[in-house]
Amino acid sequence: MKVSGSATLHAPVEKVYAALNDPAVLVRTIPGCERLERAGEDAYKMTLVAGVASVRGTYAGDVRIADQRPPSAFVLRASGAGAPGTVSADVQVQLAPGEDGTTVLSYDADAVVGGMIGGVGQRMLAGVATRTADQFFAAVDAVLTGAAPAVAAAPAAGDQPAVFTAPPRPPGPPGGQLAAGVALGAAAALLGVLVGGWVARRAAARRTS
Amino acid sequence: MTTRLFGEPIARREDPRLVAGDGRFLDDLGAGALAAAFVRSPHAHARIVDVDVGGALDVDGLVAVYTYEDLDGRVAEPLPLLIPHPSLHAPRTAHPLANGVVRHVGEPVAMVVASDRYVAEDACDRVLVTYEPLPPVVGIDAALRAEHAVHDDVRDNVAAHMVQEVGDTRAAIAAAPHRLELELQIERSASMPLEGKGVYARWDAADRSLRVYSSTQTSTSVRMALAAKLGVPVDRVEVVAPDVGGGFGVKIVHPWPEEVLVPWAAIRLGREVKWVEDRREHFVSSAHERGQQHKVRVGFDDDGRLLGLEVEFLHDNGAYTPYGIIVPIITSTQLLGPYKPGAYRVEFRSLYTNTVIVTPYRGAGRPQGVFAMERTMDAIAERLGRDRAEVREVNFIRPDEMPYDHGLIFQDGRPLIYDSGDYPASLAKLKKLVGWEEFAAEREQARAEGRRVGIGLACYVEGTGVGPYEGAHVRVETNGKVVVATGLTTQGQGHETVFAQVAASELGVPVEDVAVVTGDTRRFKYAVGTFASRAAVMSGNAVALAARKVRAKALRIAGEALEVDPADLEVVDGVVRVRGVPDAEIPLATVAVLANPLRYAFDEQAKQATQFAVGGGAEVPPVADDDEPGLEATDYYSPVRSTFANGVHAAVVETDPDTAEVKILRYCVVHDCGRLINPRIVEGQIHGGVAQGVGGALYERIVYDEHGQLLNASFMDFLMPYASEVPTVETDHLETPSPLNPLGIKGAGEAGVIPGAAVFAAAISDAEGLWIDRMPISPSELWELRRQKTPEGDA
Amino acid sequence: MSEDLHQTRLLVNGVQHTVRVPARRLLADCLRHDLGLTGTHVGCEHGVCGACTVLVDGLPMRSCLLFAVSVDGAEITTTEGCRSADGGLGPVQRAFMECHGLQCGFCTPGFVTTVTAFIRDHPDPTEAEAREAIGGNLCRCTGYQNIVASVLRAAELVGEEGSGEPQGGAPVGREGSGA
Repeated sequence: MKVSGSATLHAPVEKVYAALNDPAVLVRTIPGCERLERAGEDAYKMTLVAGVASVRGTYAGDVRIADQRPPSAFVLRASGAGAPGTVSADVQVQLAPGEDGTTVLSYDADAVVGGMIGGVGQRMLAGVATRTADQFFAAVDAVLTGAAPAVAAAPAAGDQPAVFTAPPRPPGPPGGQLAAGVALGAAAALLGVLVGGWVARRAAARRTS
Repeated sequence: MTTRLFGEPIARREDPRLVAGDGRFLDDLGAGALAAAFVRSPHAHARIVDVDVGGALDVDGLVAVYTYEDLDGRVAEPLPLLIPHPSLHAPRTAHPLANGVVRHVGEPVAMVVASDRYVAEDACDRVLVTYEPLPPVVGIDAALRAEHAVHDDVRDNVAAHMVQEVGDTRAAIAAAPHRLELELQIERSASMPLEGKGVYARWDAADRSLRVYSSTQTSTSVRMALAAKLGVPVDRVEVVAPDVGGGFGVKIVHPWPEEVLVPWAAIRLGREVKWVEDRREHFVSSAHERGQQHKVRVGFDDDGRLLGLEVEFLHDNGAYTPYGIIVPIITSTQLLGPYKPGAYRVEFRSLYTNTVIVTPYRGAGRPQGVFAMERTMDAIAERLGRDRAEVREVNFIRPDEMPYDHGLIFQDGRPLIYDSGDYPASLAKLKKLVGWEEFAAEREQARAEGRRVGIGLACYVEGTGVGPYEGAHVRVETNGKVVVATGLTTQGQGHETVFAQVAASELGVPVEDVAVVTGDTRRFKYAVGTFASRAAVMSGNAVALAARKVRAKALRIAGEALEVDPADLEVVDGVVRVRGVPDAEIPLATVAVLANPLRYAFDEQAKQATQFAVGGGAEVPPVADDDEPGLEATDYYSPVRSTFANGVHAAVVETDPDTAEVKILRYCVVHDCGRLINPRIVEGQIHGGVAQGVGGALYERIVYDEHGQLLNASFMDFLMPYASEVPTVETDHLETPSPLNPLGIKGAGEAGVIPGAAVFAAAISDAEGLWIDRMPISPSELWELRRQKTPEGDA
Repeated sequence: MSEDLHQTRLLVNGVQHTVRVPARRLLADCLRHDLGLTGTHVGCEHGVCGACTVLVDGLPMRSCLLFAVSVDGAEITTTEGCRSADGGLGPVQRAFMECHGLQCGFCTPGFVTTVTAFIRDHPDPTEAEAREAIGGNLCRCTGYQNIVASVLRAAELVGEEGSGEPQGGAPVGREGSGA
């Protein structure tokens, strides 16, 4: 399944690149992430609670960032498995300067979805993926523009392996309490996206309704 | 003394649960299943540009949304062409979900699965499909003009072209003393069972097996189709037809898109999935029938004897041809009725239109053929000034001419040979029943009073019991109960009763001790299905043959136990006994126990069959080489060809001089379907068929506008008759037993509807002095015909 | 978006039920799927065929045209409630069986309730009245002739045995055969 899209972020390219690699940012913007653990250079283990409609569950995944060309491009290779199914994805992320100091981010994901969530239909999966990506980028944008509270910087890579959790959120769906995240990059969010991070989004919608 | 059950009008065994509300129809099953619903095309012909499911994602309870791109393996291929034919040169079938193009309003585009049907429909409403409408082809005339094509690669819209001829028809007509040409038309109608289609699927992941319940007329064929499509081994697929609320032909088509997609989704999702269509869906996505236009040319002599009959007709088959050209083939052959046509030529073209598919509806092309033939007979009689019954009699095939070979190929691929029937006797009975000879005086009397009454009659012959076969399994259990299974299905024909009557008669047991299962592939796997008035002939005979095997085995075993010759034994009320010797007897239950040599006794009775109890020769094995354990047998009935039933109907109508309403004063039926297993059930079938004949003649038509929109997709506008519209049917019958099967029976399921259009057209014509060549006819249409006639006086 | 649920009390075949259903839940679906009384059937969902007919406070009504919430507090009789007190077949049901008044059985529940109410109000109908009484129910199988006979026979049986007063829906033992 191919999913692609773009978003405009209101910060220069370098800041966007840094944010997308900053676990403290990602922790509060990736839907459904529960636990992140650095597993090596540019590699992380992640636990995600997500689902597509009624098909939801917990995923354990590996994420690897490759082909890094700061500040304009990187590739994310991710795979995850859980009771509802399996996902593996290669995502190309490109950042380019936009007008007035903005950044135009474009992503191209090539994903294979298996198991039960793979059974819900391509358009539904793609629809969920696109939606959640939009949500993720809007959240990143809010952090970048200061609309969201400031975040402390993450420890540099090379320190002891770190486990990150998210700051506490008001009660939401099971797994709504997010664990701190290690830098994952946008693609990790897309992993959550591909397995349907919109669960968290709907939880957010319920909280505000 | 056991009552001879064959031929008895006993009460139905299935009734207690049905009247009490304990039936198990498709939607009564699968309480926990997910619900499927479909996004269907609102256009008659369009390209699908985009399917946007984004709006549906917010629906609480949504599980899945599928379009064509999600289909894999053979599910992505077109649905099967069930009955190929060499004359069907351009067959086309649909994909389960539209692949880029939709060709009729109602064609499924996307399938939604959700927690319940309400939610699924909410999600369907939010799926946005962008279409690029294409010019639709609606109606036979438009299809023929072929300004536009339904299928890009069938530019003339002709799916099939077939000619059958016996003799030199054109020469015969040219040489005849008299000639007539007629144009006739019947409009589209539909089976319209009260219960629509439904599918409920369960995938057992641990077992890797699939069970599918479907409201179908052929569970065995659905099973084969699903195994092929879904790539599940056949022995891992079971299909069950539960209680089915009517079929009338529409449920013989398989696999429907939904029949494939619901099990497919169940496997993908690992959840039970159920789909039940609503009435509107049934109108726009099941099947219709009856729409044909005929041109008849006939040459005849001074007595009205046919010398040459040429029929050319156009058949509207809708957007696809999954059922091949069975309907027009039946029209072509059954048009002949009980007559010798002299030379006969029939040619048809089956045309594509952007409308719902056309597959058999009770009668399956016969009503159209009979309409053409019977109107021709009436026209001949009018031309010659002769009695309409006499003109028919002159053309009858005589009983001493049986078997009569028409020299044509019938819908079963076999020669059209009538095996038996006494058409003169049938007609004589009907004339007596309706008072044919006396009617002219009644008509005059009525006219003097300012009333318009008329009488019509129509004859038909019906090929029934088509092959290739049906089978049955009969087993006597150790408690004396008899269990019968046959693979074909039931939609109200009382099979649990009639097959029990056959088995009970053959075995000599009380009918209450016989239980019958139909349409369950777990119980019987080799079968064809219920259609074409074949079930009683096919499974009735199969049950009899299997029961006879069981009886023979029982007598052999009982003979050994009682030490008598089996020829001296009889079975009465479930007891095997020596004729004329009281006390020399053994219950069938015990014989069943003895039929299965046991090591282990599982109950008191079984002890009798254990090795030390039985003892016996040390030189022979407990089960002989050519024998099997158990008092049971399977047998099949396979006919050399169809067996032909026949009938004559008459109707007396009164038309209102002011409003042109048609009132049915009398309706008489004489039918001959050979020997009757249960006369009450046969009569019920005739009543039901007559009601559909009334509907088809006066009320029911499927109306499409020029854009391919179905204008009357509900019961509010598709008018099925209520009790106020259906007359009391007076019946008499003849029995010319079929020489083709052991029980001598013929089918009766479709008999009631076949001559409906013809008989009412004739009666109304007679009342009005107008020529009716098109059915159905509404009061306003009759009124218009009157208006067209009166300015110049007689037409 | 999820729907609001409304507490609805229904006295069905003599048994009190409380259900929580969305406002748009049809009474037919509530009876069939929420209460498991699948005897009532849905043939058209637009009020023409009559297969869904149940008695609401004694009057025959199309349950496919009623929202369950709109009959909160009502007394409802379905075909299951037309059985006899001991759980066997009631007189109307027996009449249909005796007269071969059904074939596929799908429309039958609507006829049973309709006829039950009719005979209660017209204990001694003529054939014409019987035909008129069932004039709002569609049957595709029988051609109505035997149904008319069933109505007349039902009147006889009710007259002999006392009223066909609807009873609780105890399950009928499975006579006969079949899956």
